[in-house]
Amino acid sequence: MSLKIAPFLPELLRSLFKKPATVKYPFEKTPVPKDFRGNVVFDPPKCIGCMICVNDCPAEAIEIIRVSETEKKFKMILHNDRCIHCAQCVDSCPTKTYHMNAEFELAVLNRHQLKIEYK
Amino acid sequence: MAILKPILYILVYPGLIFLMVYSTFCEWYDRKLYARLQNRIGPLHTGRSGILQPVADIIKLFAKEDIVPEKADKAMFTALPIFALAIVCTAALYLPVWHYTEAASFISFPGDLIVVAYLLTLPTLIFFLAGWHSTNYFSAIGGVRVLTMLFGYEIPLLLALLSPAVLADSWRLLEIARFFQNKPLLMLVNVIGFVIALIALQAKLERVPFDIPHAETEIIGGQFTEYSGKKLAFFRLLGDIEMVVGAGLISAVFLGGFPGGLLPGLAWFIIKTLFVISLLAAMRAATSRIRIDQMIHFSWRWLAPLAVLQLFIVIIIKGMVS
Amino acid sequence: MEYKVALGPQHPALHEPISIRMTLDGEIIRDADLKLGYNHRGIEKLAESRTYIQNLYLTERICGICSFSHQTCYTQGVEKLMELVPARRGLYIRTLVCELERVHSHLLWLGVAGQEAGFESFFMYTWRDREVVMDILDWISGNRVHYSMNTFGGVRRDIDELQKKKILDSLGLLKSRTEYYLNLAASEPTFLGRLAGVGKLSKETAIALCAVGPTLRASGVPMDVRKDDPYAVYDEVPFEVCTADSCDVLGRAVVRVKELIQSYLIIEFLLKNLPEGPIKVKAPRKVKENEVYSRYEAPRGENVHYIKSNGSDKPERLKVRAPTLANYAATIAMLKNGFIADIPLIFAAIDPCICCAERLVQLDSARNGESRVLTFSQLRAMANQRYKNVNFKKKDIAWPF
Repeated sequence: MSLKIAPFLPELLRSLFKKPATVKYPFEKTPVPKDFRGNVVFDPPKCIGCMICVNDCPAEAIEIIRVSETEKKFKMILHNDRCIHCAQCVDSCPTKTYHMNAEFELAVLNRHQLKIEYK
Repeated sequence: MAILKPILYILVYPGLIFLMVYSTFCEWYDRKLYARLQNRIGPLHTGRSGILQPVADIIKLFAKEDIVPEKADKAMFTALPIFALAIVCTAALYLPVWHYTEAASFISFPGDLIVVAYLLTLPTLIFFLAGWHSTNYFSAIGGVRVLTMLFGYEIPLLLALLSPAVLADSWRLLEIARFFQNKPLLMLVNVIGFVIALIALQAKLERVPFDIPHAETEIIGGQFTEYSGKKLAFFRLLGDIEMVVGAGLISAVFLGGFPGGLLPGLAWFIIKTLFVISLLAAMRAATSRIRIDQMIHFSWRWLAPLAVLQLFIVIIIKGMVS
Repeated sequence: MEYKVALGPQHPALHEPISIRMTLDGEIIRDADLKLGYNHRGIEKLAESRTYIQNLYLTERICGICSFSHQTCYTQGVEKLMELVPARRGLYIRTLVCELERVHSHLLWLGVAGQEAGFESFFMYTWRDREVVMDILDWISGNRVHYSMNTFGGVRRDIDELQKKKILDSLGLLKSRTEYYLNLAASEPTFLGRLAGVGKLSKETAIALCAVGPTLRASGVPMDVRKDDPYAVYDEVPFEVCTADSCDVLGRAVVRVKELIQSYLIIEFLLKNLPEGPIKVKAPRKVKENEVYSRYEAPRGENVHYIKSNGSDKPERLKVRAPTLANYAATIAMLKNGFIADIPLIFAAIDPCICCAERLVQLDSARNGESRVLTFSQLRAMANQRYKNVNFKKKDIAWPF
C-alpha cells in the first residue's frame, strides 16, 4: 500500500453533506429494544414466598415480607439504588412473578427516593 | 481630536474589541467545521447553534482558581501571558485592513512585513519561557519542543512570505496587496508558497499535525501544564488571535488583500480569513500528530527546498514580466 | 542529564490509574518501572462470600470492555466443576457473543490508538462504526455493556429470526468499513510514521517475557487459546490464527484488524449453522469439592480463572489472571530506549485493561522468606509511621535546571 497525501480527506468532505451521527438527547430519544432490562416489576398475587430471588440477587436489592399471618401473601421492597438490572430474579422465580419494563431514566438526587414497594 | 482616531483604531477596529469578538467567532467556526468533517455536531447549546461557546469557555476559565507553583517565579509567570497577548494584538494593527490609497494609512510603513513576521515569532519564545519557568518536567519538555519546532518551520515561513514581496517589489504589506489587486493572475505564481505558508502557519499555531509541544496524550499540557484560571484564558485567547492574524497575513500577501473602503474591506477580511481558516481546519482533521524528529526531518527535507524553488520561480517570472 | 518522571497515576494518555516511573535523558527513556495497585477492588475476596450464581455478575464487572470474557471463563470453569454438559444452541450463542465482544473491543482499540497518536478524526469514525456492534449487542442481550448472557448450562436469552437477519445485514456494513480503515491506516503517512518501527519486541524476548495475545502474535508466534485448547464450539468453526512479522506497534494493529475480519467470518458461520434445541440445561446449586483451571482467549490475550470449590454453594477461592498482567513485563522491555512521544502508543498497543489486572499477588518477606497477613488497621498504622519518619521540608526541594 503506497503512501498518499491526505487520503482521509475525501471521506471527511463527504461527511459535510451527511446528517451528523449525533442523537440530540434529550430532545430526540432512540427507542429501546424489546427485552430491554429496565426496572424490575413484581406481581404480588403470584408470589409463593420461596425466597429464591432474595438469595440469588447479587446486589441484595430484594426484600420479601409476609403481609398476613394466615394467608400466603407477600409484599416486595425493591432497593432500586442497589439493583444492577441483571434480571436474575426474573430467571430464578419458579412462578414467573417478575418481569422487566423499559424505563431507563432513573436518576434522582436522593438515593432513598429509589425504594419501590410492591404490595 | 487628532488623538481620538488612533485610539479608536487601537481599541475598536482593527484593535482589541474587534480582534476579541472576531477571534472567538473564528474559533467557533473552526470547531464547527472540524466537527462537521468528523460527522458530528460540535458546539450546539450555548447561544444559537453554539456561537457563544468560546466566550463561555473563557468566562469559565476566568472563574477558576489561579494556582502558581511554589518554586516558580511569580512575576514571570504572571507577566508572560499578558506580554504575549499584547504582542499579538500589536501585530494585528499592521494588517492592511481598509487603507487602499496612499493617504491616511494607519501605521503602515515600508518594511512592515518583516515587523509582523518578527512579532509573530515572539509568542513562540514566550511559550518557551512559560514552559521553563513552571517548575515541572513536562513543561520543560514542552518548552524545549517549542524551540525545536521553531528551527523547523520558521525559515520556510519567511521564505514563502518573501516570494510575493519580491514579485511586488516592496516590503510593505499595503503595496503587496495593491500589486496583486491590480494583477490578479500573478497570484497563481505563488501557489507553492501559499501551501508552504499554510503548513508553516499550522506549525506556528501548534495545531495538529504539529501540536507536539502541548501534546495532550504525551506531556499533559506541555508549556501550559501549570497554567490555570485567567492566565490560561489569556493563552487560549492568544491562540485564537494568532490564528486570525496569521490568516490575515497570508491573505494580505498571497490572496490580494482587502480592497475597498471601510465596509467592503471588512467584508473581504472576513471572507478571506475564513477561507484560510477552513483550509487550516481541514488540515487539522485529516492528519495525526507527528514526532518532533519527524517534523524537523519533514521541514528541512520538503518545506525548505520547496520554498527555495518558489523563490527561483518568482525571480524567473519577474524577469519575464518586467 | 538524567531525571526521573512519573507518568500517572493521573494522565490524559491513561484510561485507568497506573504509575510508570521513568528515568529520562532528554527525550529518550533509559529505564522504566511500573507501580500497580491503584485500582484494586478486592474482587477475589468478595467472590468468596457470594454464591456461584451471584458471582456470575461479580466476575462480569471486573472489566467493562472484556466483561463477557471474564464471565464466560468463570462459567466454563464452574460447568467443569459441576460436570455439566451445556446445551448446544446455548454454546453457539455464547460463542457468537464472544466474537461480537471481540469485534467491539478491537474497534475500540483502533479508535484509542488513533487518539493516542493525535489522529482524532480516525477515533471519531471508528467509534461511530462501533455503534453498529453495540446496537447488535443491545438487541441480543438488552444491554450495551455487561451483557449478562451466561448462566450455568447455557445462555439466558435466545436469538430469533428477525435478530439473525439484522445481524447479518450489519455485518456487511462492518466489513466494508473495516477494509476502509485498514487501507487508510496503511496509507496515511503521518499516522504510519507514528506506528512503524515503534516498540520493537523480538520473538525470543516475547516468548521469554510471557507476552500474550496480539502483542505476542505480532512478533510472529501463532499462539491462540482458541486453537491450542478449544473451548465452546471453536473446534467446529473454521478460522485462522492471525500473525504479523514486524514485531512493532504496526504489526499489532495489523493483527487486530485481521482478527476483526476473521471474527466476521466466524459470526457468519455461527449464525448460518445455529442448531435447534434448548438454550440451557438445569444446573445444581451445590458443587462438590474440586479445583479447575479455565482458559479463554479474550480480545487482549489469554484470560485464566482458577476456581476451587468445597462442597457448598459458595466458592472457596477464585483467582483471576488477566492478559494485561502478563504483558506488563513486555511493556517495560519495549519502553527502554524509546522516545517520550512513543509512550502512549507503546502502552496502548498492548491494549491495557488495568482494572482487569489489579488482582492479589502474595509477596513473601524478602528477609526471612515467610509471609504474613495484616489487617486494615495494622496497614494504616504502618503507613502513618512511615510518613512520620520522613522529614523533608518543601523549601529544600531544588529545581535542578
